Amino acid sequence: MFGYWDALYFVLVFIVGLILAYLLDLWARKRGMGTRETGDGTKIFISGEDPEKVIPGFEHLEGYYTGKNVMWGLTYALKRFFTVLKADHTGLLTDYVSYLVIVTAFVMGVLLIWG
Amino acid sequence: MNGEAILPYLIIIPLFGAFSMPIVSLAGRKAREAWAVIISGATLALGSALFYYVWESGKIVLYTLGAKSPLGQGVNFPIRIVWEVDTFGALMVLMVTFVSFMAVIYSLGYMKHDTGLDKYYTLIIILELGMLGIAITGDLFNFYVFLEIMSIASYALVAFRNDTWEGIEAGIKYMFVGSIASSLILLGIALLYGQYGTLTMGYLALKLSQNPTVVGKVALALFIAGLLFKSGASPVHMWLADAHPAAPSSISAMLSGLVIKIGGIYALTRILFSIYGTSISTKTVGWVIIVFACITLIVGNAMAVIQTDMKRLLAYSSVGQIGYILLGIGIGLTAYGSQTGEIALAGAIYHTFNHALMKALLFLIAGVVIHQLGTRNLNELSGLAKTMPKTTFAFLIGAAAIIGMPPLNGFASKWLIYESSAIFNPLLGAIAIIGTAFCTAAYVRVLYTFFGRPSEKVMKAKDPEGTMLWPILILTIAIIVMGLFPWQISDKIMIPAVKTLENQLAYVSTLLGGA
Repeated sequence: MFGYWDALYFVLVFIVGLILAYLLDLWARKRGMGTRETGDGTKIFISGEDPEKVIPGFEHLEGYYTGKNVMWGLTYALKRFFTVLKADHTGLLTDYVSYLVIVTAFVMGVLLIWG
Repeated sequence: MNGEAILPYLIIIPLFGAFSMPIVSLAGRKAREAWAVIISGATLALGSALFYYVWESGKIVLYTLGAKSPLGQGVNFPIRIVWEVDTFGALMVLMVTFVSFMAVIYSLGYMKHDTGLDKYYTLIIILELGMLGIAITGDLFNFYVFLEIMSIASYALVAFRNDTWEGIEAGIKYMFVGSIASSLILLGIALLYGQYGTLTMGYLALKLSQNPTVVGKVALALFIAGLLFKSGASPVHMWLADAHPAAPSSISAMLSGLVIKIGGIYALTRILFSIYGTSISTKTVGWVIIVFACITLIVGNAMAVIQTDMKRLLAYSSVGQIGYILLGIGIGLTAYGSQTGEIALAGAIYHTFNHALMKALLFLIAGVVIHQLGTRNLNELSGLAKTMPKTTFAFLIGAAAIIGMPPLNGFASKWLIYESSAIFNPLLGAIAIIGTAFCTAAYVRVLYTFFGRPSEKVMKAKDPEGTMLWPILILTIAIIVMGLFPWQISDKIMIPAVKTLENQLAYVSTLLGGA
């Protein structure tokens, strides 16, 4: 059926997902980089950020998951894309107006030619 | 009570409430707050009654200002200002009144340390009034007047906290560039009036279908550009990322939840479907909207991933979600009259409503966090779940809904958009999914922070007082409940709303038959 979905199926899928995540976690603990039963060796590599590591000058953040590096892989892989995006968001009013003028011209051009 | 009787009070009550606010404020703080709650509560009751009437009867409600009939004496065309409400308009009225009421209740706690609150509550009710006017009007110039009422109230509210540079800067930028966008819309209205000699939307639709002209196309281009700006579509979205985070959070909730929808999306849809309809090439206009939709949903969601400011992240996320709504509208227009188009448009309307709830919730939560911790820097909010469990739970629900996780309401609307876009053009479906991947990444970062190990700073925080917590809980419940009946809501409300929107003939004949 077009547009059909049933909430219950997805609750079921969600539960299966949770079980899979738990199994994955168990597997990672077994197969992880760690070589020891206890201590640092058992740690699972989640992101570039080590919550246990104390960075000089950043002692106040010691031991906290700040989440800033959770998407490290994504942001690193798309570094160029994000650099372009950031550079484009200048915060300058003149740029905002320029974009508005460009959009108006583009839409008008398309509508006059093909509209 | 029938719809015609309700309509004028939808404007009169907030108008009276707003302008009497400074006088009521003389009676003290409690009186002012009670007045704001009574006015927005009464408006919600009227909005709900209007929606119920329109939805149940399936009629288009018409109200003529100052006369019984919109037609002039001795002539057979409309000359008076009319308000014309179909299911789509009534749904928007319900959305505006509900979220505004929540924002007013939330403000009681959130704004209690601020001064100048008589102005604040006056402006917030005027903002609601402007949005309601846009949702109900059937007259193009009247639409512009309400658009400006809404916009000017927004500019003032963004810069309400004038002790920081951020609000002032954002307010000035928003006002300057927003005024240019408004003037483009005004120019479009002037062109149409000059060409066709009428401002009544329904009659304009008739005139345009009889005699489509180049002037009509130029006016449409001006409308599209101006309204894409107002809705925060990329690349004219940059004001939004400045303005929405700078405003007090209760106002951010209204700006992101309502203003960009009513002043942008709703107005654009109304003009495209009810005024222009098939008198232009729906394919060309539809593809123009689709192109902007794709850019918007990628840029908005991607920019959200790299933000460290929680409110800025939410603002960019709003841009991303506007992309989905525009995609639905674009496909609805391109595939006009087909089932795919119908479903896409239903998804867009559904997502408009859902996103209003979700984003209002998330901004209200951001406000609670700022209220408790004085920061919105994500790097300082580690472990919030430990000390603010109710707030974090609500955030979890809001974030899961906006990502589109079943069984919450965001999934239902996104599903309709994914499905129709994949059927229409698989590439568009893929772009929509990529946008969601970015959106998920952005919110996972926030959730990871909230559920991380508590930092010393968050140990002092606690869940907010009742006036701030209740709106959050009500919005959370609304999101969960709506997620449980997605198919029923889609079938009973969204599809009928699409059908009335696509039925341009009914919109015109209601106007002319109102004699």
